[in-house]
Amino acid sequence: MTELLRNEGLKRVRMRLITAVVFVFTLTCSGSFGMEDVVSSSGPGMTLLMILILPFLWSVPMAFVASELGSMVPEAGGLYRWIRRAMGEYWSFQAGWWWTLSLYVDSAVYIALALDYLEAKYAFGGGTRAIIGISLVAVFTFINIRGLELTGWSLTIIQIAVMVPLLIFTVWGIAKGSGNPFSPVLPEGESFLTSLNLGLAIMMWMYAGWESLSTLAGEIQEPQKVIPKALMIGTPLVIITYFITVFAAIRVANIGDPNGWMNMWTGGGGIDFVAAAQTIGGGVLAYLMLISAVLSNVGLYAGYLATGSRPAFQMSRDRLFPKFFGIAHKSWGTPWVAILVMALINAVLINFNFDALITIDVFLLMFPYVLIFISVIVLRVREPEAVRPFRVPMPTWLLGVWVAAPIAIAVIALFVNGVDWMIGGLIGILTGPIAYLIFKSIYKGVKDDELEGSTVTPDGALTTFGAEVEGASA
Amino acid sequence: MKGKKMAMYAAVAGIIAGGSAIAGGLYAHSAQPLFGYAQFYGIHSKYLSGVHVLVGIGVIMVVGGLISFKWPSVGAVIVCLGAIVGLIFTYNRGQYHWTPLVYYWWAPWLFAWIAGIFAGLSMSQRVQQLGAQKDGSVEPS
Repeated sequence: MTELLRNEGLKRVRMRLITAVVFVFTLTCSGSFGMEDVVSSSGPGMTLLMILILPFLWSVPMAFVASELGSMVPEAGGLYRWIRRAMGEYWSFQAGWWWTLSLYVDSAVYIALALDYLEAKYAFGGGTRAIIGISLVAVFTFINIRGLELTGWSLTIIQIAVMVPLLIFTVWGIAKGSGNPFSPVLPEGESFLTSLNLGLAIMMWMYAGWESLSTLAGEIQEPQKVIPKALMIGTPLVIITYFITVFAAIRVANIGDPNGWMNMWTGGGGIDFVAAAQTIGGGVLAYLMLISAVLSNVGLYAGYLATGSRPAFQMSRDRLFPKFFGIAHKSWGTPWVAILVMALINAVLINFNFDALITIDVFLLMFPYVLIFISVIVLRVREPEAVRPFRVPMPTWLLGVWVAAPIAIAVIALFVNGVDWMIGGLIGILTGPIAYLIFKSIYKGVKDDELEGSTVTPDGALTTFGAEVEGASA
Repeated sequence: MKGKKMAMYAAVAGIIAGGSAIAGGLYAHSAQPLFGYAQFYGIHSKYLSGVHVLVGIGVIMVVGGLISFKWPSVGAVIVCLGAIVGLIFTYNRGQYHWTPLVYYWWAPWLFAWIAGIFAGLSMSQRVQQLGAQKDGSVEPS
């Protein structure tokens, strides 16, 4: 009953497992575009090894932990709610704030990347770029506000369009390419650590997002069953997708030049997936790959607009964020104001050049991740008997050892990814306490077991908060 | 009681944050008198150096720390904002970060964050949540 009260006003949809898997795939992968930069900076062998090994140290623990916590606390806001239950109001607000801040920037990046691909092909001006960008934002804002069913359908169609050209390219590329993609392991003159410098940052970005679907738990029927299953299916799917597509791309890049992998990068002039497709399949495959790349980023945007807007909604319901964020659409049952605010910020951001912000958001994500890993251990110790439809099949001490690996990677990543990361990230981190002190003093917060942040009492009467929300939405 | 203790920790952390910025600035000045002159958003180097910023903001952060004894949330916001401004100053002409200056901001940043954490935890103890008035309890922080 808890989640029904807390998620008052949200409409729960029946999400099929395949749709949930598409959501997971979109939020964590959506094609392999961006991996090209890892190959040239970390070396082809190292890239393929990272694709295979890093998940078991980084994303598989998160997928399992997200499954356990998501099944135990199946509430809207996902990670924000887990951390609140384990560590209390202050730390959950920090995680929610950093995560929201990060995704407000991150999601705009996807539209900007999609526009970059189109601009490289069609060379349109700034005005056209802005119109296309804002139109994309508007379309997916409407789809998201309309509900998860329509969003799920959109993502399914998009991912089919993304993966078909990639799979054609992969089969063709492995057959027609040349060389051993594992050789050399590292670029000449680079050590293991220096080769990680940029590569690890991108790889962590590529393998992030496993916790995202949980934020939609308040709008899915039986989220405690659907989400863990989707994560368990999605995890190997993402690893395989990355591996085979990058394997093929390296072989294609090495056609006629064993060091062709050194020219693999995105952003023009290098061998990216589109250029590699041109090499083996000519203009037609290159055009299909371009569409795939654009839709990959559009899909990511649609997915993160859905998940990125939910923690703000939930923080508002918990009386720690402006009240209007907590308004649900009366007919469609979605947090339409939170979605709209995020979309408006995205629409502004896509018109700026903000490369540095891309790296800042990864830095900011590391801290909520660490809090999630700590939360799973805290809840295992504090609430050992709580119902967990999905439980990571290992004792608490072993789980602690396992999650130490991603925590260590997160901490290492803070230091090996360059000063740009640090400055912006450190500033972003400091905004967390400031925001809490301000919002807490204004809105006070709401006690967890007092109606669970509901807008109505069990008798059906409006709570004080409910009356405010109703008043604001009227 | 717990909230008061947290507020005291916040104040001490804020003072250490400011103190470390001042100490860093004085050390930089003694080691390299012309340290840290750079243009910053139109303010010419002649008037504002890394040393000036470290010492100036350090003093503000110490004041913020002192304020935290009485009003932890106000004081911690001042301390954290001071560290933010200091870090922004290390961003030089929008092209690259001024790495040597960044090192001097590590300790002030860390203690400012700690001050913010303690102030936040203090506030979560002191400010009653909606619904907590009935039994006087609050959630664990």
